[in-house]
Order: sequence, then C-alpha cells, then structure tokens
Amino acid sequence: MKRILIVEDSPTMRALLNSALEDLEVPVKITEASSGFEALRCLPRESFDLIVTDINMPDINGLELVSFAKSNDAYRSIPLVIVSTEGTERDRERGLELGADAYLAKPFEPETLREVVADLLSRGVQSE
Amino acid sequence: MATRGGRSRSGRKADQEFVSEAEEILERMREDYADLDDQRAAGGEVEPDLINRLFRSAHSLKALAGMFGLESIQDLAHHLEDILDGLRLGRVSLDSPLIGLIDEAIHTFANLLESVGDEEALAAFNEPVEDLANRIEASAKEASAGGELQSLEIDDALLRALTEYEEHRLRENIQRGRHIMLVVSTFEIMSFDEGLSELSDSIREFGEVISTLPAPGETPESQIRFSLLVASDLNVAELTEAFDFPDAEVESVREGGLAVEAIAEPSASEPAPQAPLASEQESLRSISETVRVDIHKLDELMILVGEFVIQRASIGEIAARLLAQPQNAKIGAELSKIHKSFDRKLKGIQSAVLEVRMVPMRQVFDKVSRVVRSLRRDLQKDVRLEVSGADTELDKLIVEELVDPLMHIVRNSIDHGIESVEERLAAGKAAQGCTKISAFQRGNHVVISVSDDGKGIDRAALLARAESLGLVSADTELSDRETLNLIFVPGLSTQVGVSETSGRGVGMDVVRENVAALGGAVEVESIPDRGTTISMTLPITLAIIQSLIVSVGEHRFAIPINAVHETLLIDTSEIQRSEGRKILNLRGDALLLRSLAEEFELGVSESSEKQFAVIVGLGEQRIGLLVDSLEGQQDTVIKPIQGPVKNMRGFSGATELGDQDAVLVVDIASLLEDALSRKESA
Amino acid sequence: MSAVRPSSDEVREWDDLARSASDRGDSAESFDEIHQLLCFEIAGAPYAVPVERVREIVRMRPVTPVPRTPEVVRGVISLRGEMIELIDLRRRLDLGSIEPSRRTRIIVVKTDDDEVVGLLVDAVREVLRVSDEAIQSATGSDTGAVSELCTFRDEFVSIIELDRLLALDA
Repeated sequence: MKRILIVEDSPTMRALLNSALEDLEVPVKITEASSGFEALRCLPRESFDLIVTDINMPDINGLELVSFAKSNDAYRSIPLVIVSTEGTERDRERGLELGADAYLAKPFEPETLREVVADLLSRGVQSE
Repeated sequence: MATRGGRSRSGRKADQEFVSEAEEILERMREDYADLDDQRAAGGEVEPDLINRLFRSAHSLKALAGMFGLESIQDLAHHLEDILDGLRLGRVSLDSPLIGLIDEAIHTFANLLESVGDEEALAAFNEPVEDLANRIEASAKEASAGGELQSLEIDDALLRALTEYEEHRLRENIQRGRHIMLVVSTFEIMSFDEGLSELSDSIREFGEVISTLPAPGETPESQIRFSLLVASDLNVAELTEAFDFPDAEVESVREGGLAVEAIAEPSASEPAPQAPLASEQESLRSISETVRVDIHKLDELMILVGEFVIQRASIGEIAARLLAQPQNAKIGAELSKIHKSFDRKLKGIQSAVLEVRMVPMRQVFDKVSRVVRSLRRDLQKDVRLEVSGADTELDKLIVEELVDPLMHIVRNSIDHGIESVEERLAAGKAAQGCTKISAFQRGNHVVISVSDDGKGIDRAALLARAESLGLVSADTELSDRETLNLIFVPGLSTQVGVSETSGRGVGMDVVRENVAALGGAVEVESIPDRGTTISMTLPITLAIIQSLIVSVGEHRFAIPINAVHETLLIDTSEIQRSEGRKILNLRGDALLLRSLAEEFELGVSESSEKQFAVIVGLGEQRIGLLVDSLEGQQDTVIKPIQGPVKNMRGFSGATELGDQDAVLVVDIASLLEDALSRKESA
Repeated sequence: MSAVRPSSDEVREWDDLARSASDRGDSAESFDEIHQLLCFEIAGAPYAVPVERVREIVRMRPVTPVPRTPEVVRGVISLRGEMIELIDLRRRLDLGSIEPSRRTRIIVVKTDDDEVVGLLVDAVREVLRVSDEAIQSATGSDTGAVSELCTFRDEFVSIIELDRLLALDA
C-alpha cells in the first residue's frame, strides 16, 4: 500500500488528481490536504511514500512546502511532485532547485501524472 | 465530444457539469473585476489579492475547459490568464488598455457558456474569440523575468521558495519604500495554525505578509518554525512594539526609506505604478457608505453575541436568586436593573447583527435564471421562467445552502415537468410551458416554491417503482399525499425519472436532507396534467434562535420556537387512541400525539395526570409532542455535535444552557417525518 | 523533471522492508522514529494513544446523554461552547462501567475528519517516548480497538487504534 499526500487548494483539481492516482497499478491510500498548513499537519501523522503539491495556495506556497520537506530529516526522502497551475519557467526551476523530484505543468494528461508517480514510487527512497 | 479527463461521460451531462462550474467561476470573476475597476477608478493601490484571485479564476476556467475539451474557452482563458499574470507580476500596468480586454473576455465567456453543447453556436464564436485573443496577444508585451534580489540579506532558502508573484510583491514593496523584515517564531506542530494565523493577522494590521516559510524547529518532531517575510511602513522597533508578540523575533532585512528603483522590476515596457502622495491618498479615501465584510467575520461576531446571550441568562439567574434571599435582596434588585438594561442593549446588537447577515434572494434567482436559459437550449424545451419575491431576505448562510436544492428542483421541473411542445399542444395547453419561482415571508419563515404547468408527477410509475424495490407492498393503500411523498425516498426519485437531476446524481431525498439540515421542510403538491409545486419552508436565520426548553423526567430538550405553534396543558384522560396511536381532539381536528419519552426511548413513565402538548409543525404538517413540563424560552445558539456517531436522528445539534450544560436540540423535521410515516405503517 | 535515478533490486527490497515496518501503525512517523504516546489507565491497565492525536485533557464535566445511540456513547459534553461526543472507553473495551472519580479524565482527540471526540478514561498517567523496537503488533484484539503493544518499564501498554475505535456508527 502506497500512501500519497495530495496538496491542492482547488477542490476540482484535487478530485481530478485523486481519481488519476487511484488508477495507479499499485494500491494507494490517498490523503488530501486543501492547503499548505493542512499538509504540514498531515506530514507527521503518516509516513507518506509520495507527495503531490500545487504551487499557488493561500497559506504557504508549494515551493515553501518543498523547502520544508527537503530541509527536514524525517521527510527529505519522500519523493515530491509539483503540479503547477501557473507553470512559469522560473517556478519550475526553483521547484527542482529546492529538491522536488518532478514538475508537471497543468494541464497534463492523467496518464503522464501516473507515469511520473509510478516511476518515483518504484524508485523508492533515494539517498541524498 | 472529446473528453480529456480519461473518464468517459455522457456528453450532455459533462457539458452541464462544466457549465455550472464555469458559471460559478465567471460569477466570481465578474465581482472581482467590478472591484478592480472600482479600486482603479478610486486611484489608490489595487488590492494585490484581487488580481491574484482573477488570475486564479482564469486559470481554473482554463484547466476546467481543458478537461472537458472545450478548446475555444480554453484558448481564450489562456490568453486572459496571460494578461492577468502580467498584471499580478507587475509586467503589465493597471493603466494598460489590456484591462478593458478583461471585461470583454468575461462577456465573451458568458456568451460561450450559453452555447456549450451546441457545436454550431460554438463554432459561430470562433472568429470573435480568435479576434479577441489576437488583440490580447498584440497588446501584451511580455518581458523576460530577471531582477536581482540576491543583494537582500535574506536567507537563500527563503528567497528561493518565493513564487514569482511573491517576488514581485517584494519588489513592489521595496519600491514603495517600505521596511522589509523577517519575523521568526516557533510553534508546536500540533497547534501551529492558530498561533501562526494570530501572528500573521496582527502583522497584517501594519503591513503585508509576503511569504511564510516553514522549517523544522529545534525538536523537529514536535516543533515547527515559521519565517514570515514582512513589508511594512513601520520599522523593526516600531513593529515589534506595535504587534505585541513576545515570542516572535523580528529582524531587519532591508531598511525602508524613499521609494527606490535600486531593484528593478523585470519589466521595462510598462511604467511602474507610482505611489500616490499622502495628501492625494487622503482625499481619495472611499466615501462609499457600504462595506464588504467576510461572512465568517459576521459568524464570529454572531458567536460572540451568542455567548453574551448565554451569559446574560446566567446573570439573570443570579439576580433572581439574590432577590429571593431577604439579606441580599437589595444587591439583587440592583443587579436585576443592570441585567434588564444589558438585556435591552444586547437585543439591539443581536438584531443589528442578524440584519447585517440578511441578503435578498435575488442573487440566487439570477443564478437560477442563467441555468434555466442554458437548460432551455440543451433540452430544447420552450419554457418561460417567472420570478417573484426576489427581494425577500434570508440569512446569507441559508441562501448559500439553498442554491443546490433550488437548482435541482428547477432542473427537474424543466427536464421532467414541462412537456414537449407537441405533447402540450395535444393536451390543449399553450405551447410555451411556464416555471415559476417565488419567495415570500411567512412569520419567522420564508417559503420558496417552484411550480410549473407541466404534466404533474406520474403516481402510477412512482408506485410501481416503489413496489418493485419492495418499499411498499402491493396491497398497501397509500393516500395521494403519501404516494407523492415517495419522491423523497432515497433511490426512488432518481429512478422513476420524476426527479432525475439532469446531471448531478442527487435526488429529492438529498434536497430534503439539505433543507432539513437548515431546519426547514419540503412539501410537494402535484395535479395530473396541471403541474407540480414544490415548496421549501425555511427559518429566516440560523444564528440565534429562540427555543422552548422542555423536560421529560430528568432530561431537558430544546425545541426551536419557530416550529412551535402552541402549547397546551392537557389531562391524560383527554388523550384518545386509535390503533395504538394517541390522538387529541384539537378544536375538532385529530392531532397526532407523540410522547418524547417514547420517541427517544428514555425509559421514563408518564405517571402524572397532566402533561404538556407542544404543537409543532413545519409547512402544513402538525403533531403534538407530549412532555412533562415547560421550562421557558431561551435564546439558543445551535452547535453541531462532533464525534463518531453521525446519525443522531431526531436532533439537529446541541446548545449550551447555563454552566457547561449541553442540551440537545430537537430536529422537528425528522420527528414529523418519523411520526407521519409511522402513521402509514401503523 | 530530474533524470531517472537507477535503483538496484537490493535497494528496493530494503526499502520494502522499511516500509512494511513503518506501515504497522497509522501514527508511525517514519521507520526508526521515536513515538510519543499519551498513556492512561482503564481498569488498572495502561493504554495509550499517539500524542499527535490529542488536543487536550479535561476533567469530568456534566454529560448530557443522547437517546438512541450506542451504549459506548456516554453523551454530549460542552467544551467552551463546542459540542462533543463522549465515548466511554471502559464500555468500548468491554470492561464495564464505573462512576467517575476524582482521577477520571476526558481525553479530547482529533478524528480523521478533523472533528474532535472525548474519550472517558479512569486516569491519565504520562507521555511515553518509545522507539519502534519497543512496539509489537497485538494479536486477537477482541474489540478491534487495540492494534499494537509497546513495552515500557517491563509493562505492556496497549496502543489504541483510534480510527478503528471510533468506527461505531452502526
């Protein structure tokens, strides 16, 4: 069972991400966070195998979440996928610089997301 | 039609789903654009959030259209998104002629939405959409990103985590000569949001929070540290003094001062908006007499008032106790006087707060009208919509909760109630059908009804369906009302087609549930070939309601006063029985009585000879509830009960009376339902 | 996107082992983490819940019974105006019921859907810090509420699985 945390403030996108990921070949348990704060609260509660996060959110942004996760020993090894609504080239670079493992600019095909996620999950924990 | 979401849906359903979501987004955009225009006209600084919101709306619209394969909408949204992105990142000035194009794009979207589902009509828009898109493209001169903020004494980790937008806000604030500071504070991870939002809120009184960066605290498993990048007219010392947060450290990142251009905005093509002079700002202050308030702030206010109300009751009790003791009677009298005056003023505040929350039904009705217009086209029905009572006011929260049920009922009416033109003509009716929505106030309630002159509900089909599902046996005799009420049975309505929702997957049972959650009731009337009327009766406000406190044995319950018609003291010998049911002769009418002790299985015997009957009802239905005694009326704030047992049938929540005492609030709608359905099966 | 990093089968196997170890408990923070548990007493025996799920601990207060609910629901309490269900843990664990005493406490915990619920316990002891090694899975829990045991000072502490404990909407 793979545990995935989806961080996305738009309910529509959240539902779409959720349904895309439910179709993964491995069984998944998906936790949804509707804001960065909620994500911060979810992190210590469960050991996630992967995080999918949006960038622009009302409280803390996705880059800040990436920065937090990658600077914390407990979460550093969790693969992190940014799915960006705004998708400026700059945000993409920053995201990867901060340690995100993948970056998808919306709109993307659900299949693309599944491929990226499946790939990261199969790679498992990486050493930094 | 093409679906990109990877899930196949029926074309029409998907279209409608899209339209209703897109309409919501568009509605928000209209409002935000109007605000933007106002703020621009007033000449002041435009609220950065406003542009960001517009940008996000355009983006959501684009993503949504993309998912549903509507390319023209997607394309236009994409261009609009570009302008707004430029605006929010400061690449496009607010004086740009592009602003006018936003308005034009919003209008075009509205037109496009009307045509969704109609390929031909959509195709007719290709040219104007392309034209608009070209004009946007032509006017928007993109500038490449750049600009060095590295010279600032900010931790690189924080700087790197800024989105382009936040970076722009940082530049903007520096240009305006504000002090840039870092406020750092550590919180317990279990409860950080409360403390953090308190901190951010108090900072916002004096400046802008540009970014909030979390980092692990000293003990990473239990603590979390936040660094807030703040811009303010106050300097470090002044801010530290002003916002009174002893645990937070404030350090300067950049001293403010004269507006500078040292850190250039990436764009050179548009002049940077200039900070207006102080005197100018003063004179441009809005002199409008209305204020927009976040509904949640009103909720908070309401809760506070609610707490006052509870405390007032306790003060009253203490005063009464003192008055009853001869040695304290004098103090009691004084306290009682203060209590009375407090009471009067509190009532004033209460009604003022309630009034502020009231909004006319017009907003909802306008929304419904728009949906009707598109339904009319999609379903190819010739229907006229008549609206009355749009000025009737209701609590904002109720109005919001009402949109979905109302939309559902109207969709049903047009989809299933109104016949095709041929059928109508054959039945000797006017070719054009009519659906009416009306709202009016009746006492403490508002009645909202949707009626049509369609074919009425097919009772035979409904019964057949109910029988096939085993919900009624073939030999049960149901009255006409009972038959019609079958539309509220879960799983029934959606199947028979009486109320298939044209796309949303909910039935009338959900409508009834939603309305009941608001403390209201739904009733249906239908005459074959003449039409159907569905009425919702709702309380005017949810916030603070008067309740009648009753007791049964040692238990106390609160009954919302708006559901109480009268109370009677009856002698148990007056109670008559029919098939085991208790009946009271109420001025010639048979009134069904239910004992709360039996209803709630309290295990108390009704020993006394006298009992109180509380006659309650919603809409047209009435029953009498038997209780031991009445303890008086109280203002109550109904709170939901939290916990694992979700299905506490019979209760809509609980309220606090006096000191820490929770009293359950009886849900009259469900009691009525249970009592009247038991009547059938008895 | 970053380049695909190669991973050997050994790495994957090791990873799977690590995951399955941390999968044992919902609250497990990660594989070799220290767990903080709030330990309390029921019928003389120690039980515990993960500290992250605890919002506050309050003394006994008036309880309003709710008709037609399962027996384990002792009623509703008002906590600063919030209305919260109170679950009698003794009854939930089939250990009978006793009158509240001076030591009786209500542990207010957060549920999965961000609501809160009160748990009535005989007494609250302390916060334990235990490592993964001290935790073993409990077999054959009669009430489905205990998923793991942890050893602390030569004593077995039963760790309550909150989400299963609270699944009583029958």
